[in-house]
Amino acid sequence: MTPQPPIPQAHSPQARTPRVVVVGHGMVGSRFVEDLLQRRGTAPLAVTVLGAEGYEPYNRVLLSDVVAGRADVARITLASARDPRVAVHAGVGAVGVDRTSRCVLADDGTAHPYDVLVLATGSAARIPDLPGLDPLPAGVHALRTLDDAREIVAATLTATRAVVVGGGVLGVEAAAGLAARGLAVSLVHGATTPMDRQLAAGAGEVLAAQLARAGVDVRTGARPSEVLVHDGHVHGLRLDGHTRTPGEVVEAQLVVLACGTVPEVALADAAGLAVDHGVVVGHDLASPDDPTIHAIGDCAQPPGGSQGLVAQGWDQSRRLAESLAEGFARDDRVDARGRSGPSPSPGDTTGPTVHLRLPGGSDRPSMAVRLGTALASRSPGRGGTGPTTRGTDVVKVKGLDAVAMGVCGTRRTPDPASRTVRLDDPDAGRWVEVVVADGVLVGATCVGDPRIAADLTAAYTRRTPVPADPAHLLTATVMPTAAPASSPTTMPDATTVCRCNGVSKGDLVACWHEGGARSVEDVARATRATTGCGGCTEAVCGIVDWLREASPEQGTEFSRETDRAGEKSITAPKPRPARAETVAL
Amino acid sequence: MTTSTTARADAAAPPSTTSSGTTGTGSRSTGTTSTHCPYCALQCAMSLTPTLPTPSTPAPSTPAPQSQTPVPGIPADGAGPGAAASGADVAPDVRPVVDVQPRQFPTNRGGLCQKGWTSASVLRASDRITTPLLRGADGALRPASWDEALGLVAGRLGALAAEHGPASVAVFGGGGLTNEKAYALGKFARTVLRTPNIDYNGRFCMASAAAGMNRAFGVDRGLPFPLADLGGAQAVLLLGSNLAETMPPSVQHLEGARAAGGLVVVDPRRSVTAGLADDGRGIHLQPVPGTDMVVLLALLHVVWSESLEDVAYLAERTTGADDVLRACAAWWPERAEGVCGVPADELRRAARLLAAASPARGGRGAYVLTGRGVEQSTQGTATVTAAINLALALGLPGRAGSGFGAVTGQGNGQGGREHGQKADQLPGYRRIDDPAAREHVARVWGVDPATLPGPGMPAVALLRSLGTPGGPRALLVHGSNLVVSAPDASRVVERLRSLDLLVVCDTVPSETAMLADVVLPVTQWAEEEGTMTSLEGRVIRRRKVLDAPGEARSELWILAELARRLGSTVDLPTDPAVVFDELARASAGGPADYSGLSHARLDAAELGAAEHGTAEPDDAAPGGTGLFWPCPAPSSDTTGQGQGQGPHPGTPRMFLDRFATPDGRARMTVVDHVGPSDDVRDEAPVYLVTGRVLQHYQSGAQTHRVAELERAVPAPFVEIHPVLASRLGVDDGAPVRLESRRGVMVAEARWTDRVRPDTVFVPFHWSGDGSVNRLTTDAVDPISAMPEFKVCAVAVSAVNPSADDPADRPTAEIEPSGRDRTPDVLSRALTSISATPPTDAGART
Repeated sequence: MTPQPPIPQAHSPQARTPRVVVVGHGMVGSRFVEDLLQRRGTAPLAVTVLGAEGYEPYNRVLLSDVVAGRADVARITLASARDPRVAVHAGVGAVGVDRTSRCVLADDGTAHPYDVLVLATGSAARIPDLPGLDPLPAGVHALRTLDDAREIVAATLTATRAVVVGGGVLGVEAAAGLAARGLAVSLVHGATTPMDRQLAAGAGEVLAAQLARAGVDVRTGARPSEVLVHDGHVHGLRLDGHTRTPGEVVEAQLVVLACGTVPEVALADAAGLAVDHGVVVGHDLASPDDPTIHAIGDCAQPPGGSQGLVAQGWDQSRRLAESLAEGFARDDRVDARGRSGPSPSPGDTTGPTVHLRLPGGSDRPSMAVRLGTALASRSPGRGGTGPTTRGTDVVKVKGLDAVAMGVCGTRRTPDPASRTVRLDDPDAGRWVEVVVADGVLVGATCVGDPRIAADLTAAYTRRTPVPADPAHLLTATVMPTAAPASSPTTMPDATTVCRCNGVSKGDLVACWHEGGARSVEDVARATRATTGCGGCTEAVCGIVDWLREASPEQGTEFSRETDRAGEKSITAPKPRPARAETVAL
Repeated sequence: MTTSTTARADAAAPPSTTSSGTTGTGSRSTGTTSTHCPYCALQCAMSLTPTLPTPSTPAPSTPAPQSQTPVPGIPADGAGPGAAASGADVAPDVRPVVDVQPRQFPTNRGGLCQKGWTSASVLRASDRITTPLLRGADGALRPASWDEALGLVAGRLGALAAEHGPASVAVFGGGGLTNEKAYALGKFARTVLRTPNIDYNGRFCMASAAAGMNRAFGVDRGLPFPLADLGGAQAVLLLGSNLAETMPPSVQHLEGARAAGGLVVVDPRRSVTAGLADDGRGIHLQPVPGTDMVVLLALLHVVWSESLEDVAYLAERTTGADDVLRACAAWWPERAEGVCGVPADELRRAARLLAAASPARGGRGAYVLTGRGVEQSTQGTATVTAAINLALALGLPGRAGSGFGAVTGQGNGQGGREHGQKADQLPGYRRIDDPAAREHVARVWGVDPATLPGPGMPAVALLRSLGTPGGPRALLVHGSNLVVSAPDASRVVERLRSLDLLVVCDTVPSETAMLADVVLPVTQWAEEEGTMTSLEGRVIRRRKVLDAPGEARSELWILAELARRLGSTVDLPTDPAVVFDELARASAGGPADYSGLSHARLDAAELGAAEHGTAEPDDAAPGGTGLFWPCPAPSSDTTGQGQGQGPHPGTPRMFLDRFATPDGRARMTVVDHVGPSDDVRDEAPVYLVTGRVLQHYQSGAQTHRVAELERAVPAPFVEIHPVLASRLGVDDGAPVRLESRRGVMVAEARWTDRVRPDTVFVPFHWSGDGSVNRLTTDAVDPISAMPEFKVCAVAVSAVNPSADDPADRPTAEIEPSGRDRTPDVLSRALTSISATPPTDAGART
């Protein structure tokens, strides 16, 4: 392990190589390295990454899919940069930051000088303060790391009953996932409905019903009061609050704690940086105390707070990479002019965001995060002073049909400028709400209708115009269609029968009555119906039969020919899925 | 297609060549000639029978499009100016009338669409150009003799080159030109003009597919397998292709997949093709425009995370899989849904359906096919690469019964990109910056390799540079109607107008020809001999059945004449068979090797098949239905297939043993989603996607001159969802105005739920106020230089009927949502909230 990464040869004698140290090699830290390399092009750069977990970066979002058996634990590894300008120290944690000498000290005794420090230390699972959890007994797991997921999956092989503590997004996904593995699962949640931060009560009730159908025993309004341990292994959970019996005990060989997360701020705190819930940063993602130090992802607390969603961390990663790269490029130009001076802080740079394009012929295309890219390049919304990060706050439950975004759940406050329209359909397992302001969707909740959920997400993230009546957002809209023609008699004359050759039913009728056609062959010769892809042959045969039946005296002499043509030509037409304009194809 | 008992081509009728193609003297013949349709890359087989009209039955004359401005010197009454100007002995009204009948062939199986059936009408266009036209001092075009026209062109080209260098002359070709013409055009540019600046309209349609396939497979043949192979597959994934309208007879080959419920169509519109997946025949995924890449990344994610990939194939036949699969771990379906708008579970369902059809999982085979919808994008090459990555993960390419392909569009879109009219290429699909390729081709051409120019500018850059300081000052256009078909068309017009000299070779007064200083009348389709290479890489014969009217000449002759007048000693033969032989030699040893082919061999094989009465021509009877490249001559054969067994049989299926990469393995390349260059924003909150209708082809220069097609679809239209339309106050059938950063258009609104409420669709076959390419962006893919036709952002507004000039009207702001403004008409149009919700998303549409 070398204390410093190899520094590539600079372009010119005066050009310096900016040194960037990234602490944390999770979803956001690894993405940031990719983003920065992308924007730096081939210019000099030296990146040092310290990753406390000994693994390559993996997709933490998919851990609940691993628990559910939907994803293979070996297949959630994320791409990581392979570039000589990047040195990754896996399994090496940072223990201190010397801001005076601009150096990060690692737990293996190495020191890593930086021009720019990026903290992407993430967050840790919150372990509730409950009797029986100190020390953590066997069978009790958080769901935050790859090891957690592996241990939970291993535990499902022997456990028959599980309890998930915490009914947020992760707890709901874990409960449904464990139920899908065949375990008897109780979901214990203190509020009256699950996911109460994102979902209004009505939506939460519909979600609770979905969970119940998935086999989850939903225990809302109940809180664990004690974890029961025998011989070092958990065997149950005592409940408080809304219980079925006083002092009720729920049996469990496996307990999954999904009680939220705590940002990892120790390093920043020890370095004397402002720390609140997370590491305090401005819109530029730099610490107000030290413009060379930045925080992104779960450990950061930007203005307006953080919801702990990866889309937000990736959006921050992209924005920071852009502004740093611009700052480095400015330094390059200064150096090239020979007026080298102290490096200005690159973090507080401003300037137009560049719509990222790949360099021509590059074999290493963009790893830019699409979600939010376009949004951030737009002018800020009403009253916004910072970057527009809208679109990064879509919460979707994997494995269940529930999605919430923008103004929803506890974030919904009365606003005279907005209009809220709701479809409350619990009997059918559906609950949809849209919040519209200034002609665009500013928030939505959708439980139980995946198609609508996808449409609402698209409308919300892209700010596309909403219908004049927002109620139209609540259901799929369908144009009126003529009832499928049950027989040629009821089929409108204008109906296109053969699309390839633009032949309508009326054309077929006309060539029979006026053109003297008496067989499918005649009709085809006269109108070219059936002579393209042939997909309308059945329909044409049916119409010809109907014409023949309607005028039997005319068709008799030709019936033999038609018979020879094959049985299909004289069978009744199948009722086809007629749209208004066609029955062909 | 077992129920067809109708007028489709009789399978027992052998292809006739009574007016034997090589003689080219068909004008008085009443025999029948086997050839292929003039339009798309499916190249449907047809038989043409010319008959001389008798005085009692005057031949029909096809009217000129009404929208066309009358052209001085081109009377609309059918008597071309050639007759008057030069006393030509063939007036259009005594030309034979040509009867079209479909012919059995593996691709069209005896079918023709409306364009094919009516294709002979184009031969009788009443405004056919029959004599060279020169723009006079009064600004009008006037008839001229060939000698005068060619003398003028040669003189001015020579002067420009002398004063400003050879690069001041540029050439723009087309994907509809025969192989022979495409080859001759490239040779003319590189040896006579010595300009690097030659590119062609194939840059608009095939460049991204070509770049993606070249990178992954080492060679680009749109379909590296016969189209009919699709029929045996259990699943077909079709991305951005509306082939039910663009090449209707090809739909027959999807029947097998549909019967198995395995047709997966990815299209932001519920196109006719997407409708083929209805009723349990498959799945239609309807992403937000510009996000097809995300669909593909999510499909690959599901394949990977659920361990559905072909492990052995990836290990033995690919490189780069590890990086690609790790990268797709970042695109779990729920994230993808947030970007592409396709529900996560539909993505899972589609991925599992494709995987179940893959050979590794015991399926009957699967194909992944891309079309312009995903390729005409600033991330087109990357999207094609993502599609290839998915196909490779499933173990499809290079396996009989499975594969990856790009559905080529233009008639000779395949051959057109192989023979050297592309800025960076020499014949045989060779690279112009490859010293060995230059050496080989220069030897065939009899020139010093050092005199060959290097790579030129790709189409959009070339067009942008016209008439700019240092840019080309003259342009020769062949087989392309740029004014209608190029992106950001208004700027193209501006650039063309700034040229010192614009020379357009065309058959009719197209919009581009009307801007020219010199218009040279050329032969079309049934008036010329040559070869085309279909979407499958099948080299087929185009045959002459009648003489061109007036003084129209083949471009082969024009190029040779210009070369002579420019003092060049380079030999430019004018006999298509001779040109082909030279093309074959030039291609020898290249990726697209034609050296084992000749007109004579293609004709003999077809005659042989006819004599043997092959009732159902298929690819088991080599030669009878054309031959697939690579087809090397014994001397250049490195495949070993032809050695010691006579001529090489051609290569219907490529990559069965190895890919054309140095190590024989397919290369997987990491790609990621970036998004459209012109994405929706508050000022332009609606996506515009463009496409085609069945009745028209490309810029419509041909199809607008066919009365039957014009009657069917006379004008452009805007497909708009009723929810969006009512928000904007746009009634069904009323004019609607679209405005992008580049331009404005107006056309009739057509309410339909085939489009998403965030998207409008417009077909691009028209010029003028209804020209959607005034709006499209010319931002290009960084690798292929292909422009992003398929998606841009527009403002949509109702047209005030009192205003006259659509371009002068201010854009109406989108009204804020009214609280009690639900038009009755919308309420009628939309179903009320259903009493029971769907149990799955698929049931909703």
